[in-house]
Order: sequence, then C-alpha cells, then structure tokens
Amino acid sequence: MINKKTSNKDDSKLKIGVFICRCGGNISDTVDIEKVKSNIDAEVVEEFENLCSINGKKNIRDNILNNKLDRVVIASCSPISHEKIFQDYVKPLNPYLMDMANLREQCSWVHDKDKSTAKAITLINASIEKVKKSHPVNPIVCQIPESVAIIGGGISGISAALSIAKTDVKTYIIEEKATIGGNMVKIGKVFSPVKIAEECSLCLLNPLINETVWEDNIEILTKTKVISGSRKSGTFSLLLEKSPRYIDDALCIACGKCNEVCPVKVLDDFNENMSYRKAIYKPFSQSYPDAYTIDMENCKKCGNCVKICKMNAINLEEEKELIPLNVGSVILATGHKLFNPKARPEYGYERYDEVITQNELARIMGVNGPTKGELKIPGSKKAPKRIVMVQCVGSRDEKPNAHKYCSKVCCMVALKNANIIKHKYPDTDVIICYTDMRTTGMYEKYYKHCQDNGIRLIRGRPGEIIKNQEDNLVVKVEDTLTREFVEIETDMVVLSLAIESSDGTREIAKQLDIGLTEDFFVKEAHPKIKPVATDVKGAFVCGTAQGPKDITESIMQANASAAKVFELIHKGIEIEPFIAEIDYELCNNCKECISRCKHKSIYIEDKEIFIDPMSCSGCGECLSVCKQSAITIQGNINEKIYATIKGMLKNKQKGEKKIIVFLDQIGYTAADNIGINRLQYPESIHIIKVHSVNRVTPDHIIYALKNGAEGVFIGEYPGDLMYDKVEKKINKLKKYAEKQGINPDRIQFSKVYIPYFTGLAQKFKIFDEKINSISN
Amino acid sequence: MKPIPDKNILLFKSCLISTEYPGVESSTKYVFDKLGIEYTIDHDQSCCTGLGHYSDVFDQESTTLIAARNFDIAIKNNHPNIVTMCATCYAINKKAAKLLNNNEKIREEINTVFKECYVDRKYEVDSIDPTENIFHVVEIIYNKKDKLKDLIKIELSDDLKIATHHACHYCKVFYNDTIGGVRDPNILDKLVESCNLKTVGWFNEKRTTCGAGFRQRFVNKDLSMKVSSEKLISLKDVDILIHMCPNCHMQFDRYQPYIAKKTDNTFKTMHINIMQLIAMMMGADIEKVVGLQTHTIPVNIKAIKNEDKWKKINKAKEKLERKKDKKL
Amino acid sequence: MKVINLDETREKLSNKVLNNIKASHDLGLLRCVQCGMCTSVCPGAKHSNYNPRYMVEKVLENDEKIIENKDIWNCFYCYTCHSVCAVGNSPCEVNQILRQIAIDNGKEDEKLKYFASYGETFLDIGIGGMPKSFFMTLHEDIEGWLDFKAELEEIRKELSLGPIQMPQESIEEVRKLLNKMNFDKRVKRLKKEEKE
Repeated sequence: MINKKTSNKDDSKLKIGVFICRCGGNISDTVDIEKVKSNIDAEVVEEFENLCSINGKKNIRDNILNNKLDRVVIASCSPISHEKIFQDYVKPLNPYLMDMANLREQCSWVHDKDKSTAKAITLINASIEKVKKSHPVNPIVCQIPESVAIIGGGISGISAALSIAKTDVKTYIIEEKATIGGNMVKIGKVFSPVKIAEECSLCLLNPLINETVWEDNIEILTKTKVISGSRKSGTFSLLLEKSPRYIDDALCIACGKCNEVCPVKVLDDFNENMSYRKAIYKPFSQSYPDAYTIDMENCKKCGNCVKICKMNAINLEEEKELIPLNVGSVILATGHKLFNPKARPEYGYERYDEVITQNELARIMGVNGPTKGELKIPGSKKAPKRIVMVQCVGSRDEKPNAHKYCSKVCCMVALKNANIIKHKYPDTDVIICYTDMRTTGMYEKYYKHCQDNGIRLIRGRPGEIIKNQEDNLVVKVEDTLTREFVEIETDMVVLSLAIESSDGTREIAKQLDIGLTEDFFVKEAHPKIKPVATDVKGAFVCGTAQGPKDITESIMQANASAAKVFELIHKGIEIEPFIAEIDYELCNNCKECISRCKHKSIYIEDKEIFIDPMSCSGCGECLSVCKQSAITIQGNINEKIYATIKGMLKNKQKGEKKIIVFLDQIGYTAADNIGINRLQYPESIHIIKVHSVNRVTPDHIIYALKNGAEGVFIGEYPGDLMYDKVEKKINKLKKYAEKQGINPDRIQFSKVYIPYFTGLAQKFKIFDEKINSISN
Repeated sequence: MKPIPDKNILLFKSCLISTEYPGVESSTKYVFDKLGIEYTIDHDQSCCTGLGHYSDVFDQESTTLIAARNFDIAIKNNHPNIVTMCATCYAINKKAAKLLNNNEKIREEINTVFKECYVDRKYEVDSIDPTENIFHVVEIIYNKKDKLKDLIKIELSDDLKIATHHACHYCKVFYNDTIGGVRDPNILDKLVESCNLKTVGWFNEKRTTCGAGFRQRFVNKDLSMKVSSEKLISLKDVDILIHMCPNCHMQFDRYQPYIAKKTDNTFKTMHINIMQLIAMMMGADIEKVVGLQTHTIPVNIKAIKNEDKWKKINKAKEKLERKKDKKL
Repeated sequence: MKVINLDETREKLSNKVLNNIKASHDLGLLRCVQCGMCTSVCPGAKHSNYNPRYMVEKVLENDEKIIENKDIWNCFYCYTCHSVCAVGNSPCEVNQILRQIAIDNGKEDEKLKYFASYGETFLDIGIGGMPKSFFMTLHEDIEGWLDFKAELEEIRKELSLGPIQMPQESIEEVRKLLNKMNFDKRVKRLKKEEKE
C-alpha cells in the first residue's frame, strides 16, 4: 500500500506547497500574512482570499500540477470541519499527503495580533515537518457478504427479516423453539396508544408470519441454536445446531392423527402450563412450520405415531445436525424472559393456585387458551368476584435478585387485562395496586378510559399476600393516598412480573463477544446516538433483547437495525487507513496482543493472528505489548508525531515558552470551540491533533521536553475505551521522567469534553502558570 | 455462599442465653464437639449491649466501643471468628465491625478512648471482616449439615408438627449475608431436615417478629403481646417452634401462658432452640446438656421411637415437673 | 398551606439523618417513592398509629416535629421494612436515628427512663440482660421466673457452664471505657436524676 517511490525520496528534496487562506479577514485581520510568507521555507507559498471556494480548489490543483508538488500544507481553518474538503482539493495527490495548519480556531481567534503571526509561522512549520514524513495511503474498503442472520424469531426478528429480505438480501431466522412467533403469540390481545380498543394479537402477527414464510429470501431455521460464532473482517462465521424435530416438516400435513394416538400427556408451555398437550404436538394452530414435533424428553417411543402416520413423516431416530453459516451481519432479536415470581415468596405464587402472572391471565383470557377464554379462578370453576393486580414485581426494586429498572410495559399490560376483564365480566372488581402509573404519551388516554370503566387503583406496593381463615387471599397494602393500612380480601391475584434478559441473549452475547449492560441486556454502542448498534461492528440488536419495551418499539428497532444492515451491505465499510498491521515474519504467535485489545479486533484463525480492520481504532495499544515488534501502524504515525513536535519547536526564540498539547478528536474539537467562542489562552499552547492519545509514546513526550518544550499537556475524553490505560501510563511516565531528571510536574494529563471548552481554556492557563513557576 | 469457618471460633457469650436458656450454650458446645468444630469461650468478653442498644439506652459510639473491645479479645485469643448464639449479638457485632472499618472518625475516637484509659487494646482497620468473621451459630452448623445427618441417633414421630421462627436480626438486618432466604427464611427448616424431621415450611406469620420489640415488651405490653399472640395463633396446631435467638425464645416460651390467659386461648406449642434440638437428636443428656429445665413451657416430646431415649426424656420430664411442684 | 422558603438555613433533617453515625452508607432515604411497602409489613403499623412511610415522608419534608411524635416509639426494630424496601431505604434505621435525635434534644419518650437501669447494670457488671426495673413485672407475668433465677447458678453448674460474669478486672475495664465515652452521664440523664 505504501508508495515506495515517494517515501524513499529524501525529505529535504520534497517539494512542498503552502497555501494560506485569508478567510475573508478572519485570519488576515489578525495574522500578518506577508510576514508569515516571508518566514516560510517551501517550494510554493501562496495566499488566497477563500481557499475553500471552487477557485481555491483550482489554484491548489494548478500549483500541484505545475510545480510537481509532493506535499501540501493548507494553512486555514480547522481540519475538524474542512479536512475532507481539502483532501479532495489536493487531488491527484494522495489525500494523506496534505496537512492543515489551524490558523483560525487555534490561532487568529484565540490570540492577539502581536502574538498570532509568530504562532501561525510555528503551526505552518509543524505541518511542513509533518507532511515530510507522510506516506500516501489509501482508505480501506471492506465489502461484507450480502447475508444476515437474525437470532430469534419473535416479532422483532420477523420484522427485521421482512425488511431486509425485501431488498433482495438473503436472511436467516434462527429460532430455538419449534415455531417462530415468540412471546406475542401468547398474549392474546394488544392495544396501541392511539387506539382505545384492544385487538387480537395473533390476527396482527399471523399475516407477518405468513409473509415471512412466503418470502424467498428468508430461510427459517427452527429448533436451531447458535453454538459458536466469530467475526472476522466483516464476516460472521456461525456454527448452528439444529435439534431433531423427529418429523419431516416437508412431509407432515399436520393432520393430527399422531396426536390422537400419543399416550403421553405433559404440561403445555404455550398455555403457561395451565393445560396439557401430548408429547407429539404442534405448539399452536397457526405455528410455523405447519408441522408436528416431538418433545423427546417426554416421549416414550411407543411407536404409535409412526404406525398411524400415512405420510411416513416420523423418524424417532433423527439426530441433531450441525450447520455452518457465514453471514455479513447479525441481528440479535433474542427477546426476554420474565422475573421468577418465586423470588418474592411473600406473594404466594406457587403456594396458592389463585396467585397467577399477567402472562397466565392472558392465556386464561385467550380464546385459544386453557379455558377457551372463560375467566375462572385457577383450581375452581368459578369466576372471581375480585382480582387484585400487583405491579412492579421484580421491577424498580434494589433488593437481591430483582431489577432496579422499570419494566416499562407492565402498567399498560395490567390496564389492558383489567379492561378486558371489566368488559366481559362487569361484576368482577379489578383493583390495581401500583407505585406509579407510567402511561406516557397517548397511553394516558387509555388509562383514563380504564378508570371510566370502573377499574380501581390503589397507590401502594403490597408487602404480603396470605390466606385468611375463610381460605380467601388477603393482599396487605398501605393505601398511601388515604394513609390507611388495608387488607384486601380477594379470590384472585395477578402479579405483573419484571421483564428480564433472556438466557438466549446472554448466550449469544458470550459467543459473539458482544457487550451487555449491568442488567444483562445487549449494550448499544452509544445509548443516545448509536441505538441498535452493538460494540461489535456488523452486529445489531432489536426488541427486548436490548431492554424492556413494547411491540411497537420493538418493530421500530427492528426496522432501524435493518437500515443499519443496508448501510453495510450497500456501501461497504470505508476505514481510515491508520490501523495496525502484523508482520508475519516477526510474529511468534504469543497472543499477548489479543487480550490487550479493547476493541476486540485481534483474533486467531488457523493458528495465525489477524487484525480486523473493521474494528481496529489504530490506538496502538497492541504495539506496546508486542515483544517481537511485529505490529506496525500504517501511515508512519510515530515519525509524524516526532516531526510535528520538531516543527512546533523550530526556531524557538530566547525567552519564548512552548507547551506541547496532545489532543484526541474530542479534545481538539473542544479546543476549536475555545476559538469559535473567541476565548483566549496563552500563546505558549501548541496543539497537536492525534488519532488516539495512546499513540503518543513516552519517548515522544520525553523528546518534546528535552528539545525545547517547557511542558506537555495530554487531554483525553474519558469515554474513550483506552482512557483508563492512558491515565495509568501517564502516571508511570511521570516517574520515568523524574528518573531522567525531568520535573514530572511538566507533564499533565486531563479529561476533555466537547462542551467543556471554557474549562479547557482555563486548564491551559493554569498549566501555563504552573510551568512559569517551575521554570522560575 | 460466603466462606464459613470450622475453627478459630470464639463462641460469643450472650446475656440472655447465660441467664435464661443456658442449655443453648451447653447444647452448642456439645454439638460443636461432636462435629469437630474448634472453638473457645473467653470470659473477658462482655455482653454485646444489644438489649440496651435497641432500647435506645446505648448510643452507637458506646456500643461500638464495647464491640471493638470484644474484637480485640477475639483477635488476641487467636480466635477471630466470632460466632453468636443470639441474633442480636450477630447484628450488633456486624454493624460495629462495618462502622469500625468504614468510619475513620469513630475508629480513631475509640482507639483514643483505649489509649486514654491506658487499656492495651486497639482496633486495626479491617481486622474483623463483618461478613467473613462474624457468624450466627446456625451458619456454622449449616456448613456441616451433611456430617450432622450421620450423628443423629434419635428418631421422632412423623406426625410431630414443627415450625421455625427465624430471628429478625439474623435474617433481615444484613440480608446480603443471610443464608437460606430473607423473604421466606429457611435455614432453620434445612437444619431441622438434617435431623431427619420435617417442618411445616411456610405459614402466614413466618416472617413476623416475635413481638418483643425490645422496649415494647415492657412499656407497650399490649402492643407487644398482640403481635406475639397473632403469631402464636397462626401456629396453633404446631407442636414445636424452633428458635435461634434467646429473646424470641423468651417472648414465646415465657409469655405463652400469659397470652393464653389474656386472649382466652389454649396453646400447645413447645419452644426449643435449634441447638437444643440438634443436641437432643444426637442423644445428649436432657438435663446435663440440653437444659430443658429452664423452659417455662415443659418440653414434652411424645412418640419417640427409640425406647431408651424416650425413657430418659420421660425421666427428665418427671424431674422437671417435680421441680415445678416444689416451686408452687 | 405549607411554604417552602427560598432560604433554608437550618441543617435539613434528612441530611441530619443521612449523616448520623447509625445511617448505613448506602441508605436510600432520598430515593423513597412513598410506596408504603414498609407500612404494609410493619407490626407497629398494624396495631398502632405508627406509620413508617409517614415518618419517612416527614423526614423528607424536613419536618422536625416528627422527632417529638410519640408514635415513632412503637417501632419494634424488627427490620422487616429494611429487608424489603425496594429503594434501599430503611425506615427502621431512620426510626432509630430519630429516637437518638429526640434523646439528644431531651424529647425522648417518657418511659425510656425505665430502661436506664440496663445501662446501670452494664456499668456494674459488664452484662445487660433484663432491666432491673422490670423484674417485678416479669415475676408477675411469668410464673416462677424469679424462683428460676434463684436456681440459675445451680442449673448452670449442672450444665458445666462457666461463670456468667466477667472477671472483676474486665468489669472494671469496661466501666472505665464506658465512662470515658460519657456513657455513665448519659445513663444518669436518661434516668432523669440529674440535669446536664
């Protein structure tokens, strides 16, 4: 990739062009351009009114061509806003052979007239020295396979799959259960915030399931789990394990004869274990694949089903199958599970049949449920006179085994189920015991509608549910609005259980090395501005795998993750070329670098170490642990930093003071903000922008301090993955400096934030004063 | 589960066990010896202040001072694992250890008191870990419950109804350290099961306090007895209530006749500490070890299948009743 | 109507509670959402006018009158509220602190004086037990209690147990230490024999 011809040319013979922008007076009113021009040693030194204009472009290009320039320095504004523009303007020169001296945000806008001209000369000199060491490199474009694996076939996975498949991309839905559909198939009725009425959830879901089945680009793998996976250069290699169905779904016509002859009865989890099914069964009538399956844990292998099946579809000896699958992206749609009500034994779940969960209530109310939609007290044939719902069971609770977060949907779920009961059984009293009713936005209207329908609300969190001598349940709660200690006698209690992360979420996260939150949901790359992206490039998340949410939000996230997949597929990934590379002649496979990499970019394949360009940030941490010095970072960054320091310190006058400041992208932007807001800081401050502060080595700092810099200031954004490491390194460095006879107070490490620019200016000032007191 | 020691144990003397149910201490020593648990008792150790502390008489500083002194005794005795027979001693000592480790001011203050009194004592930060050095005796036994099973010699009738009363200051104060559940405590149930017996498990008032409430028993007697009586009523068909704290034990055993009279009820529940039960089930002498003679409600366990032991317990029972006659 | 003034110069009660030596370092007092779970499990609330949630509400309102509220003396210190509070608050701990603040301000419950004898016994023999002042009630309520006490030494001998009390040297050491902490003065004050 490196152009040997140019890079071998002696530095001093390189033809450099310097283009100075007056910026309509923004620069030239403060900086004496004539004086600058006469102090710069370069092949071409040009000034221009507005360098970023089309005319500017022409001027630069003509000069490059006519004077055969090897390198270009643009002395104008900040690279943060204009680097991409000028990289384009220097064509046909390689974009990385250009550097910008920031004469506006970090010179004319922050210093007085008498100070800024000298500063401008220094900044341009630094850029000249830097470009001398620049190598032409090209951006790396990774093309990823046009296929996607969606882990989980609930409403989120189905929605994402449909969205992606419709753009002609091959999509796999990998579902652990015997059917797709997820939790939504069980909940009976749903409602949306803008609608006051409840709708049948299966009626909404079923067309989507059908569409998924018909879509040619979607392949549905049920009874299938990911058992291992890895990601390399934009390709996920997954190993799937398909459990036997024991029935060939291509042959099975779902006639149900096998079901009739099966002698084994087991609890039906589709009905929350409130009814029975056979060992050979179909999860529910609309399930897909439309075929029976055998629950081998309970099957007695009597062979009745085999004998009766006219299609010869049953094979009791079928074995599991391993399927390798390579895809370009992965979407985690692994859903959630519910809080274990046994962790709150004082509520009597399991002890009393009449204490059930909202999910169980939904099955009871479901027309395809255990009672065909008739509301009955479990264990009896009577309809309840009263139902008490207990909110926040396992949510908003700091105690062990529970969750601090709000599960977000339970207020709506309770209101919905209460309303359905009130509608069908107006004589049944429904009381919801709540801590806060959180019915945001349009849901508030539904809440009011429920109150109109006579649903009673008691504000208080029950402490205990017992049975009295009449064998009725008693809910003990304080009505905090009337300050009364109340014992509510009831014949049924419904617990609103917290939503928690599913086992599947935890498993897949471990297999693909995807980060989880403290609550074990999939962590987004940035919870505010990078939703649905995970900390592994090319892996996305949607639905309740990411946190508690309702169906609408799950679908929104599913569509968002689909859009992110399109970005990858259609544009590929263009990567800044300054990333780590391994020299295989030197590498001895010690693997030290693998655990060091915070970006999870280094992996082993066929016993050789690889660096994934997609996720490498070029921070250089791996370089420092590589005893063989087998890792290098493209673009000659190390030498460029030395050269920039050298340039900054060039022609230092007697009595002049120079402080070298290393800032990452965030810190540099904060420094620009000081200029944009026309605040000032001492002219001794000389800012060098680095890709990652981690790339600045102790040797760079010692070099600066020994070659004329009075102080070195390093600023890093604490959100950077490398922050902790850098902080520790600087502390070590201070000790090292002391041994070298350098006062460690001349080195300072500081946190930087973009909006905290006044603070940064203040820190510069304080450090400058500190340096004064040291040298005096 | 937190690590549980079986040696270097200071068996922490309790005022209420010493003066109300000394049989708990002798039973504990008996069971410890049988299980090969290495322990000592140090007579320089003072009472934890618990009853006074929770009657608001002791301030936190004075209580912590006393704890620091007892910690120093345990450490100097080379038995830094403090094991209490009383739930209040357990909570008082844990709280004090936390304070002494985390609050430099109080630690300094106490060390200054030691110095100014010319007492050769000091509390070094973290020398007692509240989780890894302070235990209730039931935890030590729980850790050995498999070994315990092999040492049970007595068999009791299957139809005995046994319930457990888990002491609040063991379960609820430092709930992160509690073994066997807080909301449905069951460490005692598990120990009873290790004696080849069954418990009734959950009952309506299982989590409820004994009702002593420290001051309430004395100056709010009606309130205190109301709480105790509700619990007793919910246990009406229970033969034995198992205890782990002498204060709860006292509230039920001593006051059961009083409550029966006041509420016009009859109760048949006998009260016995878990260590007494275990010692008894290991075949310990009822009078010389288990010490049932100090109980107000006579412990009269019927239908013991092992004939020899049955005779022995019967004899002890007769003796107890003779004593009662004398008192009258 | 209640007015929340802009200038609140006094130290707030809630801060006083949080900064008290008894307060656990992670006490969730300020996180209280007044859900009332504490009240629903409280034996004191069930049988008296004490209401732990209301007490916390007053502390959060920095209403110092709660210190003089007689109902707070009905807490059993059973810690049930503490063991279930969903926000990590502990009304039980808050109650103990309020009672200590009441004592410091001479506003304690009148009946506290009867418990001073516990402190006296502790200073005398380094051991607590049942407060002396209640021996007669105990004798009245519990059949044969005092008789049993007379036999205690004999029973303990039978059980091969050592002495109840510490050696004299240790008793004196404990007394000296407690006096240095001014515990003797506190006991006297609680007994209401002597004004500070």
